Amino acid sequence: MKFEKPLMRLDGEKMLIGIKDIAKLFAISIVTCCAAFVCALFLNYNIDIVGIKDKITNPQGIIMYNAQVASGKVVAGVSGGCLVVTTVVLLIFYVKNYIDSHGKELGILKALGYSEINIARRFWVFGISVLIGTVIGYAAAAVYMPTFYDIQNDMELLPEMQPEFHSFLTFSLIAFPTVFFMLLSVLYAFFKMKHPVLGLLRESQNIKIRKSKGKKNDEKDMPFLTDLKKNTIRSRKILVFFVGFSAFCFSSMTQMSMSMKELSSESFSFMMISIGLILAFMTLLMSLSSVVKSNTKTIAMMKVFGYSQKECSSSVLYGYRPVSYVGFAVGTVYQYMLLKIVVDVIFADFENMPEFHFNFKALGISLIAFLAAYEIIIYCYSRKISRQSVKSIMLE
Amino acid sequence: MIEAKEINKFYGKGESRFQVLKNITLTIRDGDFTVILGASGSGKSTLLNTLSSLEHPDSGNIFYDKTDITKLSESDLTKLRRDDIGFIFQQYYLLPNMNVDKNVKMGAALAKNKDYRTIIDAVGLSGKLRKYPGELSGGEQQRVSVARALAKNPKVLFLDEPTGALDEETGRQVLDYICTLQKKYGFTIVMVTHNVNIAEMADTVIKMNSGKISEIYSNEIRKTAYEIGW
Ligand SMILES: Nc1ncnc2c1ncn2[C@@H]1O[C@H](COP(=O)(O)OP(=O)(O)OP(=O)(O)O)[C@@H](O)[C@H]1O
Ligand SMILES: [Mg+2]
Repeated sequence: MKFEKPLMRLDGEKMLIGIKDIAKLFAISIVTCCAAFVCALFLNYNIDIVGIKDKITNPQGIIMYNAQVASGKVVAGVSGGCLVVTTVVLLIFYVKNYIDSHGKELGILKALGYSEINIARRFWVFGISVLIGTVIGYAAAAVYMPTFYDIQNDMELLPEMQPEFHSFLTFSLIAFPTVFFMLLSVLYAFFKMKHPVLGLLRESQNIKIRKSKGKKNDEKDMPFLTDLKKNTIRSRKILVFFVGFSAFCFSSMTQMSMSMKELSSESFSFMMISIGLILAFMTLLMSLSSVVKSNTKTIAMMKVFGYSQKECSSSVLYGYRPVSYVGFAVGTVYQYMLLKIVVDVIFADFENMPEFHFNFKALGISLIAFLAAYEIIIYCYSRKISRQSVKSIMLE
Repeated sequence: MIEAKEINKFYGKGESRFQVLKNITLTIRDGDFTVILGASGSGKSTLLNTLSSLEHPDSGNIFYDKTDITKLSESDLTKLRRDDIGFIFQQYYLLPNMNVDKNVKMGAALAKNKDYRTIIDAVGLSGKLRKYPGELSGGEQQRVSVARALAKNPKVLFLDEPTGALDEETGRQVLDYICTLQKKYGFTIVMVTHNVNIAEMADTVIKMNSGKISEIYSNEIRKTAYEIGW
């Protein structure tokens, strides 16, 4: 009895997810890192600039002050309305999908007699990934802050400003997201475990089986590949939404960060664009990797039967393409509206502020980047699947 | 004809590296029923997977007629699998989000086989066309996997323990049906089994023991699925 426990724990940890898997969750860390960096930088600056309001005496300084506060609000509004919200939604999806696709392992552990909470608590590593990301992002922001403050005040119209430390910012950018995602993952896994063991084991849990009613006739004549395509999409609606949403993020993040170039100082537009691109790419990578992971077995089986790579991709992986285009279009409209509203509201009192126009160049660049990224990611994953043996895929 | 020449296969790396297949040489004639017998872990599934192009041997060659399949490109292998090979796995591997009818259609579509429903009938699943794999018993899933492979009209059918999950009566029916189809279409069968009795149905029996072929013999007369013990 005495030596059984450590053995069992080892087994369980191997099956699900442990501290060692943090590297695999690097996408989460990168995304949260970017979001924390942007938020920390601008929120800190906005708080500090409000603090020196009384010290400004010259009229030019007051104009500068108002403009800075305004553009700070634009950036904060945009990063708040887009980066943070989308990042959070995205992570929630990712965690849900991850846990859903490990239903079988959950079932086995439960059948072996592990308690629900004992299994669920392993998912706290999602929180660790978020912690790593936000800490790095926050630290990078802290390092960059003095330079950033200087750039913001390069005409020296405002009094000398030093970055102040705001503990509640640290708290809300690091501790809060970490605890939130830790609890979210553990609780979601915990509630998932409430399903009966057999349901978890049979994997039918995540596959919503939809019996066709009365439509049997037109289904009969459908070629197999078309049928498969429809079924793949229908059986995992959550993934469809995930893909659409990530395309939405991609389009809004990249276009927004490029459009901000005209609204905020030149100096950090480069930074915003890089962060926008990194975030956009990571989101797409996360959603497409979930798509591939949920369909790897189907593809492996099709290959055994002699379906070509092209047939597999087009009927399974590319089924999500239309959704992603819709997501992209919605994202384009969304970022335009958001920027327009923010600019209209905040700059309403300014006379010589540039009017905000739709940025076609940004749309073009974003669209090309999106199409290229989408195809490349899918291609790389298809290659990866072809190199694995059928047995290893099916037993995963 | 399938010819394997001095196949060696290893699993693992470094310390834990060990040889699963040791110098396997064998010939399988067209239209033959070959059975691979051996204890659990002796390498039967690995041999079957290697012969059927699903796994690569570390050395040695496998010829399908004159073509060495170990040298084929991925797209040529795809063509080979599509046109010539049917596979039934020990673990079934059905598509979980497709119902019975569509799972079988997955094989039938490749051969443009419109009559695949008769195969579903023959394995006794006509009443379960609209069921999903998650709603079937183990034996039923196995029969779907048999039907799926047969629907493809393969030239060579590889079977890994196709009756492992079936009771005696259903097992006999399925084997009998496979043999009937073989008589009709003349395809080649390579089948892995634990069951020594099933070996009496074969033309050729290959016995394996820890990665090596320990014996190959032919049966003068093939017994039918109803004549063998179980
Ligand atoms: N991917 C793998 N990596 C490492 N070892 C493996 C792998 N696959 C199989 N083995 C080992 O190779 C040996 C042969 O496996 P194989 O599946 O061919 O056995 P088998 O004869 O089919 O057994 P059974 O009758 O139980 O199905 C076993 O000892 C197994 O542990
Ligand atoms: Mg085996």
